[in-house]
Amino acid sequence: MVFGQLLLIAGSAREGLATSTAAGAVGAVSRPVTAAERSLSSILVGFVHLFRDLNADESERTTLRREVTRLSGELDRRKELDVENERLRRLLGMREDLAPRSIGAAVVTLRLTDQSRVVIIDRGSAAGVRPDMAVVAWGGAVGRVVSVERDFARVRLLTDPSSGAAGVILRSRAAGMVVGRGAGPMDMVYVPKYDDVVLGDRVVTSGVDGVFPRGFGLGRVSVVGEPVGASKTIRIEPEVDERSLEDVLVLLEPKGTTLLTGEDQATQP
Amino acid sequence: MIVAWAALGIALALLFDLGLGRFAPGATRFIDPLLLPLAAYALRRSQRSAMVVGCVSGLLQDYWMEPRLFGLNGLVKSVLGWALGAFGARFDLNRIGGRFAAGASVHLVGTVLDAAVRRLFGEALVPVPIWVLVVRTVFGGLLTAGVLAIVGRAAQVRGPARPPRRRT
Repeated sequence: MVFGQLLLIAGSAREGLATSTAAGAVGAVSRPVTAAERSLSSILVGFVHLFRDLNADESERTTLRREVTRLSGELDRRKELDVENERLRRLLGMREDLAPRSIGAAVVTLRLTDQSRVVIIDRGSAAGVRPDMAVVAWGGAVGRVVSVERDFARVRLLTDPSSGAAGVILRSRAAGMVVGRGAGPMDMVYVPKYDDVVLGDRVVTSGVDGVFPRGFGLGRVSVVGEPVGASKTIRIEPEVDERSLEDVLVLLEPKGTTLLTGEDQATQP
Repeated sequence: MIVAWAALGIALALLFDLGLGRFAPGATRFIDPLLLPLAAYALRRSQRSAMVVGCVSGLLQDYWMEPRLFGLNGLVKSVLGWALGAFGARFDLNRIGGRFAAGASVHLVGTVLDAAVRRLFGEALVPVPIWVLVVRTVFGGLLTAGVLAIVGRAAQVRGPARPPRRRT
């Protein structure tokens, strides 16, 4: 039994969960339980909302909430684009990102342990969700899709220790890699030691990782570490409160900046 | 019949786990409801049944909650079922103190094993604060003692309990 499971782990580490037949079988037998959980959750949430606000129409509120989330993300991106607009205009051949297409999804459940931080959302391959798509919410980036089933998808949060996203300080354009540290703040590593970073600076996605479009909020600088070698580490308070996630947006088109190939460079003016 | 009860117990634990993640996601850091059927079978049944229940509940947890390593929780819970089943066969842990100790120890050892297996497969790890381990251990013990007391009471109401199998 133990040997079999070691083989399963090794197989999933190499090929990913989605390719595992055993995982599919386990999912098939447990699907009724999650369906029951979702039904019970909706009933419970329905009762809570009914008592909280008897006059509000629940479906309208859900639609509006998703719309507000989408518009808020859009506004965030616009602010970021305004800051960069002048600089970008001077650069020939720079492609501007358009607003990516997205779909709304509701959070089914979360698991927020120290070593693993995952969200299950109620949209899967049937809705066009694919692995490595970016997931955003009110306030900023949430995580990336790691595996997809027909009707749901697993999203690894940015605070997961195995997560990473390319970030940039909005004010000074100091770039680095934002990595998760489990519960609590994230770290921004590989920031050049002479770059200007002060407490309270806002960190947004830079788009160079190819997953997140530029301009989505990651967090605010809470600690600036002492330089070690040529770089310094910065601690960031996440912008999105994971525990209160209810609705998210899955960006269907990764719009991060892609690296130019030799042919692309040849066609640049 | 035994399989049906085990399946029901695991399904209820999974339901509790998913519901906890939906309504109190912060609590999933401290409580692992899928350790409850494992502890119940280790203390009330045999070592083998505890391993099987641990394996099944762990694989379910992997499928729903583990982003990368499918089988990690299955492995950890199988080992925990084996260890706790061995203790349950040799010592009378089916009292309030024993249940608390069993629940507390599987939560504590489970956290350590989880980190060890992740490290073995090259996953990034973060140190777990001591206070989190303490809270997790105490909560796990209390939850296990409470749930097993309810299960024991329900079993008494349902009929005379069968003597536990001590086969290891």
